[in-house]
Amino acid sequence: MQQLNYPHVNETLHYEVMPSGLQVYILPKEGFQKTYATFSTRFGSIDNSFSIGDGTVNHVLDGIAHFLEHKMFEEPTGDIFATFASQGASANAFTSFDRTVYLFSATEQIPENLRTLLDFVQHPYFTDENVNKEKGIIEQEINMYKDNPDWRVYTGLIDALYHKHPVHIDIAGSVESIMQIDKESLYTCYNTFYHPSNMILFVVGGIDPEQVMKLVRENQEQKNFEELGEIKRYFEAEPASVKMKKKHAVLPVSLPKCLIGIKDKQLAEQPDELQRRDIVTKLMLDAIFAPSTVLYQSLYDDQLISDSFGYEFNSGSGYAFSIIGGETRSPDELLSRIQRAVNGMLEQGIDSDVFERTRRKRIGGYLRMLNSPESIANEFTRHKFRGGDLFDLLSIYETISLEEVNARLRSHFDWEQTAVSIVSKEQE
Amino acid sequence: MTVTPFERSLFDRVRLHVLPTKRFKTFAISLYAGVPLAEDTVTATALTPFVLRRGTSSTPETIAFRERLDNMYGAGFGFDIYKRGDSQIVQFRLDVIHDQFVSSSASLLQSALQLLGEVLTSPAQDSQGALRAKYVAAEKTTLKQRLEAIINDKIRYAAERCVEEMCADEPFRFHALGQISDLASIDEKSLYEAYQQWLNQACFDLYIVGDTSLAEVQAIAEKAFRTGGGKPGSYVRSSGERKVTNVKTVIEKMDVNQGKLNMGLRTNTGYADDDYAAMLMYNGILGGYPHSKLFMNVREKASLAYYAASRLDGIKGLCTIQSGIEIANFDRASEIIRQQLDSMRAGELSELEMNQTKAMILNHLRELQDSAFEMIAYDFNSILTGRVRSNTELMSDIQAITPQAIVNAAHKVELDTIYFLRDQKEA
Repeated sequence: MQQLNYPHVNETLHYEVMPSGLQVYILPKEGFQKTYATFSTRFGSIDNSFSIGDGTVNHVLDGIAHFLEHKMFEEPTGDIFATFASQGASANAFTSFDRTVYLFSATEQIPENLRTLLDFVQHPYFTDENVNKEKGIIEQEINMYKDNPDWRVYTGLIDALYHKHPVHIDIAGSVESIMQIDKESLYTCYNTFYHPSNMILFVVGGIDPEQVMKLVRENQEQKNFEELGEIKRYFEAEPASVKMKKKHAVLPVSLPKCLIGIKDKQLAEQPDELQRRDIVTKLMLDAIFAPSTVLYQSLYDDQLISDSFGYEFNSGSGYAFSIIGGETRSPDELLSRIQRAVNGMLEQGIDSDVFERTRRKRIGGYLRMLNSPESIANEFTRHKFRGGDLFDLLSIYETISLEEVNARLRSHFDWEQTAVSIVSKEQE
Repeated sequence: MTVTPFERSLFDRVRLHVLPTKRFKTFAISLYAGVPLAEDTVTATALTPFVLRRGTSSTPETIAFRERLDNMYGAGFGFDIYKRGDSQIVQFRLDVIHDQFVSSSASLLQSALQLLGEVLTSPAQDSQGALRAKYVAAEKTTLKQRLEAIINDKIRYAAERCVEEMCADEPFRFHALGQISDLASIDEKSLYEAYQQWLNQACFDLYIVGDTSLAEVQAIAEKAFRTGGGKPGSYVRSSGERKVTNVKTVIEKMDVNQGKLNMGLRTNTGYADDDYAAMLMYNGILGGYPHSKLFMNVREKASLAYYAASRLDGIKGLCTIQSGIEIANFDRASEIIRQQLDSMRAGELSELEMNQTKAMILNHLRELQDSAFEMIAYDFNSILTGRVRSNTELMSDIQAITPQAIVNAAHKVELDTIYFLRDQKEA
């Protein structure tokens, strides 16, 4: 077991790779009652075309990663939520674009709960009957999201930005696609992506790292994992341009919801480059759009934005985009005001005082995040799957220069690369 | 397991609660200000924190005020307005990092309390007797839009409509954010008066969790807050209990894909009552968790819903059920939900359900201690209800609950309202 020390944030991480390739990270948090564990596979909604070794390429149905997540909770002995409940743990799971995460949080019976987590995720049990039964539930989940304007405006934007890349496909798939999912295709995905070499276990809380690592080792020794060839993921070539400039949906909402998306033409490839690019972009967006900026306040004063206004940068294999927006009385006016303001910044660059204040604010936000075991586990895994390290963020923040942020500003904001998604109560 | 208790003190009309701990990288600060929920004040009270967050007398411009927060290493600052029983509570929250992690010249705890004190008692003003007109006008629009936006999230909308219908002749029918119809008549002068009145009448509780001491906080807070002399106020317990004569059914139509079936139940048991723990168990077995009756029967067995759950409001004494279903399945889903209520009354409680639910509630009560704001929220229940009950005490109450105690609780629970949000098609 290795120790990784991060004195500047007062944390020590314990680390070991199992013979199967499973990466295990343990972060003791003194004084914490709770233990929070995530068992994550690098398999998300975008992984719909893949092969192992030099084998044949599999194309799978939209929404299968999410469907698989639902089905993992069923064991021959019954529902695994019940097992966790008997052991006082609250369990959950989620599927994102590029990963599926199974988790529990508990204050007692940690060894039992850890074993349950490892065992249920490493034991698929799909039958024709239980697969069919799940379809009604997922159909209702999809219908629930159809009525959710925030979700619709968000997914609508990504759909407008990307022609081919599967990031534009709804994570849950469609009612039509999930109806065709069968147990064979679930097993194909399972046997590929749930191999331990494609997974990370992260345990954080008031725990003894030695004991936890020993438990994981013993649990894994009892299982046989055949070696898996390299997983290859295939993505159709994505044109640099956006697919459509505007996408609109009608839902009963009080005010139009409007999001502006900016699609990066150039993608970062190397892990360290990727992590730094993300941090620089987030800092840049904060410096332009945060509630303490002149732009934000003028848009707010003119009732073009509300407290719902937000912005984010999202990236993964083959995609990188930012999203800016919220509720507005006038999508057109909001868009033109943002364009005008950003064009001004492109000429003048970001003010150095604003830059320093934003850097300071983001460092504070980062340190506050480290109070939360949930955030640490999820963020650490997200960074790790992309080759980065969550605990490097502080030093990245400290070394970012204003010139770097301004250069990023100029490379990112290209109005040819934007699309708009709107949800409003009336057709345009 | 020992629980570190809050250390307590008073200054002016503020109750001070401090929990010294080195567990977190931050100081968590929470200020509660509560007044009775009443038609003539609900909207002005809701609008007040929106205006107060725009600036203070020393930093009246919003940009400067927010830069001040950014300079404190991005202090997290926010507020919430909610109902607890028959009280309307404004909560301000501040979260600042501990100085040890950064090279800061001034104490961040001191800066944070100073700022919060200004927000509460020293707002930006145009002149004496008036708040800043520009902020009042802008925040009226914000609040109006916020109220109008409730409809956007159908899950939340259905939940709130159900409670509104259920409590149609109680103060609890009001939304914590007030009423749109009141906004037009509010201006910078009338809001200033309402603000002064609120300041004079509200019960104030200031909580701090972090690496500090009661004495340190008290010394800073006494200077930072000017709430005026007098005694701290106390919360009035809501009447709660009511007899249901007949079940009210409300069906509302809108352009939706999924139907939202909600039910409102009266528990006739509150946080202060001895059988509160039994009611927590009742709710847990009925619908609090993925192993509960509602999830198992509505979702897992019948595949009728993605979500089907219940929630307990122990302060008001309500239990609410929410589910999202295929519109055509209204009758079937209602029937299955009502069967679960019957089964609770009939005492169909397996040992497994008992054990699972106990384990989940105990886990939650232990986990509270890992979050500063959750510890604060838990402790505040005792201020609200006058019933002091530590989480360890509640844990032993839970452990001792028998099936019979839950059946007794179940017999106190009455279904009051069924609310269904559906599409526009003819039934």
